[in-house]
Amino acid sequence: MSDILSKLSTAIIEGDFASTPEMAETALEEGLGPDEILNKGLMPGMDHVGVEFKAGNMFVPEVLRSARSMQAAMDIIRPLLAETGIEPAGKIVIGTVKGDLHDIGKNLVGMMCEGAGFEIIDLGKDIEPDAFVEAVKEHSPKILGMSALLTTTMRAMEQTIRALEETGIRDSVKIMIGGAPVTQAFSDQIGADGYAANAASASDIAKKFTP
Amino acid sequence: MINSKFTAQVTPGIQLLSDDQKGGIHSATLEVLRRTGVDVLVPGVRDMLQKAGCWVDGGRVRIPPNLIEWAIRAAPSRVVLCNQDGNPAMELEGRKGYYGTGSDTPFVIDAYTGQRRKAVLEDVANVAKLVDALEHIDFLMCMGIASDVTESISDLYHFREMVHNTSKPIIYTAWDRANLEAIVEMAEAVAGGPEALQRSPFMALYSEPISPLSHAKESCEKLLFLAEKGLPVVYTPGMMIGATAPVTIAGALVQANAEALSGLLITQLAREGTPVIGAGGILFMDMAKGAISYAAPEFMLAMTAFSEMYHYYKLPIFSFSGCSDAKVFDQQASAEGAIWMMLTALGGGNLIHDVGYIESGLTASYQQIVAMNEVAALVKRFMGGIEINDENIALEAIDRVGPGGNFVGDEHTFQHFRRNWVPELFDRSSREEWEVNGELTLGDNAAKKVRQVFENHQAKPVDESVSEALEAVIQKAEERNK
Ligand code: B1M
Repeated sequence: MSDILSKLSTAIIEGDFASTPEMAETALEEGLGPDEILNKGLMPGMDHVGVEFKAGNMFVPEVLRSARSMQAAMDIIRPLLAETGIEPAGKIVIGTVKGDLHDIGKNLVGMMCEGAGFEIIDLGKDIEPDAFVEAVKEHSPKILGMSALLTTTMRAMEQTIRALEETGIRDSVKIMIGGAPVTQAFSDQIGADGYAANAASASDIAKKFTP
Repeated sequence: MINSKFTAQVTPGIQLLSDDQKGGIHSATLEVLRRTGVDVLVPGVRDMLQKAGCWVDGGRVRIPPNLIEWAIRAAPSRVVLCNQDGNPAMELEGRKGYYGTGSDTPFVIDAYTGQRRKAVLEDVANVAKLVDALEHIDFLMCMGIASDVTESISDLYHFREMVHNTSKPIIYTAWDRANLEAIVEMAEAVAGGPEALQRSPFMALYSEPISPLSHAKESCEKLLFLAEKGLPVVYTPGMMIGATAPVTIAGALVQANAEALSGLLITQLAREGTPVIGAGGILFMDMAKGAISYAAPEFMLAMTAFSEMYHYYKLPIFSFSGCSDAKVFDQQASAEGAIWMMLTALGGGNLIHDVGYIESGLTASYQQIVAMNEVAALVKRFMGGIEINDENIALEAIDRVGPGGNFVGDEHTFQHFRRNWVPELFDRSSREEWEVNGELTLGDNAAKKVRQVFENHQAKPVDESVSEALEAVIQKAEERNK
């Protein structure tokens, strides 16, 4: 493997977000393609981070820095990827549903998915069904993610799915849901495409949705 | 109740902060409120704060130090909660501590099958019965969140079941202002009118700001309504060290204090003297799992220090105990729960909740509640301290028995042995006896006791007219929610 690619991987693992953009540029100057930089430099770094996090050897703030380092490099290569017609992992619109102010779980999910190469559009918390619909229209994401931690707000996930159906764009996105009281059974019941119990499996599912 | 100030020479306690450090935390808190301020998401409350001298900038409110110090003095230093008959049950002040359950877990461990399942309304009735029957659990929170009633007004159903199944004080939750108003209407029916309820409240609302540093719409509305009514409210941050608060305990403590005291200011401006129980939750985020912990030593440190700050302010303290991250009632649940029980007593918390929480607040365990009732009894004995006086120093007895004798049959032993604690569930029998009795563990004994209470305990029934009044409020709410 080229020296600069392994350096990029290492920088991502170490969370050196100040250096990764420059490294990405150097790689381009050396004549490497953006897809090669993504698949052989950035992704191996993040994959390693994912494995180490699951094993309990890396911690949330470290993973967050790695994801930031990855995104910093992505900012350099994303335009070129688009030019060469290669699609990056895609966008995820994510938010905590209407009436619900719990956002830490949602933030962690966003962070892990970002680390998996997705571009995250975080709508925040207390998000109305219509606002999710608008965001799907505006950003055409591959995945819509909803988080809810309250029994009283879980229903808003269903309402959002219905709103997407009514607008005729339900099938344009995969819908992933999660949050402490949410279960697979509930996900099936309201017609979501997937449920994740934690941030790591959320990013696994997101990857499965976008082969 | 843990109260040992009368006969013991010294009330057992621990200290984490020096007076200088408390002053330092206080100053830093005032600085956060002056410099960074808090978001207040109800315009009317912002206006009220502005009139009092705060600086308002959009939704942000910055607060001058003198106002906070005024609020600390204006708020009552003691809050008395009564039982449903109006007799005093808990004096929340000083170092007097009372244990109670937690609220709103989506799941419970079934007392018969041992399986985790969704909580239902019957669980709220059952936990109320359990609290009613247990000697050392002093107040009730609903424990589970009922999944088998109209979701948007489940809080009303919780309240009804609690009133029916215990006469001990109730700390309740309310989803929004409309539901809160309905619950207060129910409580007034129980107490015999608004004034009777205000004079001898048997309940207090549990409510929260949204960390970091935000008083959300519902939070403000609840505070205003209770201030209007002159009814007690618990206002406590539910922050997570490292996620919604600084990762350093001192920083989290300062931010939590800023949230609690700015909330206190809102209540005191709305109505001076509103009874508020403050301090509260500085939970911990585990950075390996990205999960919330209800039993991390960092949480314990932060909580203990927060209590110290509130002793310093002479304000009633909301605290935590008997809770765990374990998934079932197991060794971890016992260990974490018991450490908390002793710690909060030593730290001088007043209204000590969440006894029986496992899985970091997602599941409730009846066994844990019963086991912690046992621990509470032990803790109370410890908190009695050592009474040092001539009779207890026992020079006469020592001399009487002398070298080589024994104390078992001595008069002094006979006179005093009853002061010592006798466990109910903790096993001190011989191995043979234990084997003959079926080799029961604490879990077995606790489960047995839970079922015994469910099947046999009867709380004092409420009057027919009160029962009808409660029903009427619920029916009205059902109509409103159709
Ligand atoms: C898109 O795809 C996906 C995929 C996976 C997804 C996903 C989306 N979203 C999450 N996941 C999954 O991955 C994440 C990472 O691994 C995980 O996310 P989690 O969010 O589960 O985990 C986080 C990383 C850490 N966990 C958390 O952040 C939540 C912790 C607990 C303690 C909690 C907290 C901290 C708070 N709370 Co609240 N709170 C509780 C929580 C108890 C608990 N143990 O969950 C819970 C959820 N709260 C509860 C309640 C009742 C309330 N809370 C309230 C308020 C708050 C605080 C503001 C104080 C604070 C939140 C601050 C914030 N900025 O988020 C109130 C409601 C406010 C509102 N309108 O939202 C209030 C109503 C309390 C009141 N009476 O005022 C209970 C819910 C009961 C229910 N089922 O309805 C509760 C279980 C605690 C309890 N037993 O009372 C997975 O679930």
